[in-house]
Amino acid sequence: MKRLLITLLLAGLPLISAAAADKLHLYNWNNYIAPETVKRFEESCKCQVVQTYYSDNEELLAKLAAGAKGYDLLVPTGNAMQTLIKQGALKAIDKAQLPNLKNIGPAYMNTQFDPGNQYSVPYAMSITLIGYNDEKIKELGVPVDSWATIFDPKILEKLKKRVTVLDSSNELFAAALKYLGYSANDVDEAHWKQAADVIKKAKPYWAAFNASSYIKELTVGNIWLVHGYSNDIFQANLDAQAAGRKFKVLHSLPKEGAVLALDNMVIHKSAPRPDLALKFMNFMLEGKNAAELTNLIGSGNPNADAMQYIKRDIAQNKAVFPDQAAQAKLEQLQDLNVKQRRLRNKLWTEIKAAR
Amino acid sequence: MAQQAGDRKSRWLVSGPPLLYLIFFFALPTLIMVLASFRSPGEFGGLTPLVGEDGVLDLNLESYARFFAESVYAEIFLKSVVIALVTTLICLLLAYPLALVIARSAKRRRDLLLLLVILPFWSNFLIRVYAWMIILGPQAALARGVNWLLALAGAEPVSLLFSPFAVLVCLVYVHLPFMVLPLYANLEKHDQALLDAAQDLGANGWQRFWRVTFPLSLPGVYAGAALVFIPALGIFAIPDILGGPNDSLIGNLIKQQFLETRDWPFGSVLSIVLTVAALGLAGLAAWVGRAGGGSGEAARRA
Repeated sequence: MKRLLITLLLAGLPLISAAAADKLHLYNWNNYIAPETVKRFEESCKCQVVQTYYSDNEELLAKLAAGAKGYDLLVPTGNAMQTLIKQGALKAIDKAQLPNLKNIGPAYMNTQFDPGNQYSVPYAMSITLIGYNDEKIKELGVPVDSWATIFDPKILEKLKKRVTVLDSSNELFAAALKYLGYSANDVDEAHWKQAADVIKKAKPYWAAFNASSYIKELTVGNIWLVHGYSNDIFQANLDAQAAGRKFKVLHSLPKEGAVLALDNMVIHKSAPRPDLALKFMNFMLEGKNAAELTNLIGSGNPNADAMQYIKRDIAQNKAVFPDQAAQAKLEQLQDLNVKQRRLRNKLWTEIKAAR
Repeated sequence: MAQQAGDRKSRWLVSGPPLLYLIFFFALPTLIMVLASFRSPGEFGGLTPLVGEDGVLDLNLESYARFFAESVYAEIFLKSVVIALVTTLICLLLAYPLALVIARSAKRRRDLLLLLVILPFWSNFLIRVYAWMIILGPQAALARGVNWLLALAGAEPVSLLFSPFAVLVCLVYVHLPFMVLPLYANLEKHDQALLDAAQDLGANGWQRFWRVTFPLSLPGVYAGAALVFIPALGIFAIPDILGGPNDSLIGNLIKQQFLETRDWPFGSVLSIVLTVAALGLAGLAAWVGRAGGGSGEAARRA
């Protein structure tokens, strides 16, 4: 579904006009706010929330770099936000207007991407991990506690053409680097080549590089194990249950650690209504409102006050709210510089072309 | 004189809008792309300033050098050309009989048949591609039937979805109408009297087709081939959605440069290579088409 949106947007869907009064233009991930939350905010601010969607950070950056204007509030992940800050594309926020900021856990404030939170307020997070069909995995007796499941040919032999991995060089390299015992943010060329070799050896066993339809493929039982985002895997399980499938789609956080994506609310420099954007930020920092998103899509939540409103089965899911030991092994991805991006792309193209 | 000036004016009025359209939406963007291909990628995406801090114009051949230094890019490019050519050929083989049947059916049925050819356009392209995911999925009747047959022959089951086969099937499906329509437009204008004359002169059915109908239809064949080949060459959505791990094409590679890698200059180089190849092949087709049109003339005279 994500790629579908990209394609639609690239096809040039016209930008929603920005000028009208009392409209908050929210440029957000698809399905990343509960409809009832939007409704309550609209009632409280007497304004209208106009949402436009992006399906990945790259798309957001590409659109803004190409000069898109008129958005008030964006919700980029850490590294993309850092890029926007360095580009001077964001407006500093007035924290005096955000009394609810105290609800955010200290672990999620003052990150390397925006020291002192001059521009950003944490919104929600996801972890890139392993999702699987519990029935099939039990039947095959495959371990799911390690990245070896998607990289080790010996294990993959049993899962041949039933595995998909994300079609994202950043995410897949991060997983391979973690599997090799390096940091997800390692930039050593030799380590990257090692990771590329791991990926190339595993590739023949994968069904596809897929970021657009693995939710559906898991739900219908075509694909048994994926490298994907925790929110998507949560969604796949909801869909499978709604469709009356016998199996469940479960999360597993690999023991080597994984990528954590913390999304943040920021205000674009060209925002027509920064005042409404600040109101929205403060509103979303209320525990109840933040919890609604987690209850809807199973996202991690940096809001300490939200925990009391979150459904128990989600709050107790170790892949959504990892314990301290697991949390210590999570890493947020850092942005790469031009040279690194070019090298990464060359390796990625070779991976894609490899037979 | 006044008459002539008026002629000129009306000529400009007629050709002006399309000309302006081409300048603004083809020539200018292409020029921007050519310029971008010689510039350097910005640290955070976009491009570095054209004139550096030292006042020197920052233009270089680095991105072109990269394209030619690594064979992997040319490899993917060639693969895309081959897939686009195969798509065009299959479309031609499927569309020709269909167009011929439509062109030769009674007027009332002809309109209905044409409508059926255009009907798929009423639903969104991506929805139609997603529909193929369901048709080709392992639990659908098609894959089950194929795998049942394979099992009878003692062969391993195959996956139809996420395969080069899925990509090709969908490419043909999506582009087929673009081949049918120009072929139909051409075939429909053929003069029945020519075929009657050929028959009177002793030509059998095959000879009438091969010596009369086919040469006359060549301009339609070339138009259809260009309309199929060019979009098929640059497509990225179909391999993204239906392809397996080995099915990336040049369109996917270009998309990556503008999204993940944020490397506009290299993306521009790849796009230029694509544009040059597409224009080159379209030019070739037009040239052959003109030659073919000549032989059509000959057939008409004969």
